[in-house]
Amino acid sequence: MNNGDKRITRKDFFSLVGWGGILSTLGGSVLGFYRFYFPNVLYESQKVFKIGKPEEFPEGLSEKWKKERQVWVARNKSGVYVMISICRHLGCTPNWFTDQQKFRCPCHGSIYDIMGNVLGGPAPRTLWRAAVKLDPVDGQIIVDFNNRQDPDPVSTENGLQVDEASREIEPFFLKV
Amino acid sequence: MADKSFEIFPKNSNKTYGLMELVKGTAPATEKEPEDTIFSWPHLFYVELIAVLVVTAALLFLSLYVGAPLEEEVGRDTTPNPMKAPWYFLGLQELLVFFDPWIAGVTLPALIIIGLMLIPFLDTNPKGSGSYTFSERKLAVSVYAFGLGLWTALIVIGVWFRGLDWSWYWPWNDLHVHKPPIVGLKDLSVIFATKLGISEFLGNTLSYLLVLVYFAVGLIIPVFIFKRFYNRLGIIRYVTTMVLFLIMAGIPVKIALRLIFSIKYVMVTPWFKI
Amino acid sequence: MSNLLQRVSDWVTSTQVYKAIFRHGYEDTPRNRSLTTFSNVLYHLHPVKTRKESIRFRYTWCMGGATLLLFVVLTVTGLLLMFYYVPDTRRAYQDIKDIMNVVSFGSTFRNVHRLAAHGMVLTVWLHMTRVFLTGAYKPPREFNWVVGVILLTLTLVLSWTGYLLPWDQLAFWAVTVGTKMAGDTPLFGVEGPFGRQLGMRQDNDIKFMLLGGTEVGQNTLIRFYVLHCVVLPLVAVVFLVIHYWRVRKDGFSGPL
Repeated sequence: MNNGDKRITRKDFFSLVGWGGILSTLGGSVLGFYRFYFPNVLYESQKVFKIGKPEEFPEGLSEKWKKERQVWVARNKSGVYVMISICRHLGCTPNWFTDQQKFRCPCHGSIYDIMGNVLGGPAPRTLWRAAVKLDPVDGQIIVDFNNRQDPDPVSTENGLQVDEASREIEPFFLKV
Repeated sequence: MADKSFEIFPKNSNKTYGLMELVKGTAPATEKEPEDTIFSWPHLFYVELIAVLVVTAALLFLSLYVGAPLEEEVGRDTTPNPMKAPWYFLGLQELLVFFDPWIAGVTLPALIIIGLMLIPFLDTNPKGSGSYTFSERKLAVSVYAFGLGLWTALIVIGVWFRGLDWSWYWPWNDLHVHKPPIVGLKDLSVIFATKLGISEFLGNTLSYLLVLVYFAVGLIIPVFIFKRFYNRLGIIRYVTTMVLFLIMAGIPVKIALRLIFSIKYVMVTPWFKI
Repeated sequence: MSNLLQRVSDWVTSTQVYKAIFRHGYEDTPRNRSLTTFSNVLYHLHPVKTRKESIRFRYTWCMGGATLLLFVVLTVTGLLLMFYYVPDTRRAYQDIKDIMNVVSFGSTFRNVHRLAAHGMVLTVWLHMTRVFLTGAYKPPREFNWVVGVILLTLTLVLSWTGYLLPWDQLAFWAVTVGTKMAGDTPLFGVEGPFGRQLGMRQDNDIKFMLLGGTEVGQNTLIRFYVLHCVVLPLVAVVFLVIHYWRVRKDGFSGPL
């Protein structure tokens, strides 16, 4: 029996080691279980792909690759850019209305213009643009789906806007 | 069959059985029998059996008429228009129109669940336990009715008043015709800046102030008007109750601001927008 | 005739087989009534004597019982559906079509499963409302109310995970929206406030863990299947056990 002073007895020491061991084993197991849930290898669709040569896309919006690759290809006076067809609100696929020249999302009514700016609805940010580059060998546009341009939009009278000139930079714009 | 020869738990010198039960009550239960209690077997079990038969029969009968839906197979490039969640989630989906996804989808549901869990700890009124009463529990029943009513209203809107592109469709509107989009939603800070002719920064500050005033008024005023209520709860319970209530009441306020004044966000910070 | 029946039942209840299985007699005596409840593994959750309140429909609306019943129906029909459904994205949709069109009574069981699922959400809300209106959450029953709210959450999550399994458009987009919201969670989602600051990326945040990847695909389907059919029902049963234990121990509310 210790006499109540600050010395740690052997009993206390073994108690500490024992419980400490049990708790750290438990903690380690929990961490192990947690890490188990994050897959290291993914078998998903290709995220880097080709969509054809720039000459194939006239001025305006092309829905040619929307079904297969979930991207829109747009051309303005300066060049070509690729937008990802995923609404920034909750991930639904917006629809392009050529007559209104607007994208409209069926889930909660978000509205985007051809540059991806938010004109209305609950979307909190503008449409993603994917990184693009030209293949030096066959001249096709290579799209990197997961390398996305996401500049902070500014609240204006007309909705959430990003200055177009600031967006038309490498690697998210092709001056062709 | 003689009872004496029928021992349910045969006496065995190697075993000792003890059945003890601690029962709390205001009166010994023995004095209550037999007027208030009945044997579970057969009465309770027969009632339960009837309930089982009725519900199962109803399910089987209904299943002949109400089919489980099955739409087309998954198409990653096309979202159905309109894309509606099942009815019990439509309240949430309707909230998503007016609030950012992480608020409407994560924060508000979490607050609803936590708020529900806290009810027994925030309700200090000892009356009304074990019977239906409104007069003895006016506040509790009213607040609950408000919350339930709000949730039900959102579901009703989601089921019957939302159509293509999630636009508003009256029951007499043609569900196959797209409605024009609603553009021109502005933030409150932008409205302040343009209408009052002040800078963006001042407009922003004004909008922060407005939200602060809403919570301040909501927290401070009841202390003086409903002194008894405040004293009974104590400061921790009071603040918790009022903050939760103000957030809940803030939802229809924000919805009204959006619908009437086309205000997109009441408060914009670098980290979140309301 | 009744004399013959009496003699037959007397003989049956005196056999060794009967006495081995049943620890009570057959005659309608108070003792046998007590023993039937007390010595039966399923029944003895109930008290031997019940207060009249607990079978008054006007007081309880029977919603708690209805919820449990629907849960059992869902389990049974769900198990039946599991015999014909494989959670493989290449055949899940076709399996549902088979169940609806080819399997005998397949459409019946699927319809009952779906009806019971919606019904259970409704009865859970009604049960919660009834408990609230009768103040049956007040001390000492606060903890049971919390357990009830947990069960409500489990019901909704069970519903949501089950929704993905048919792998049709409705399922796919409902889950896309739901998991996108997970990605927007503060702190734990890559798109949420403070998410990136805490080191969340596309491949390690909570959305990634839910989906088992970066998109709603095969990994998601099997994860939701396991959650829906095994993990969540087990967790729900654990909480149900606590819920009923508490009802027995705290006593049924209602005027004394």
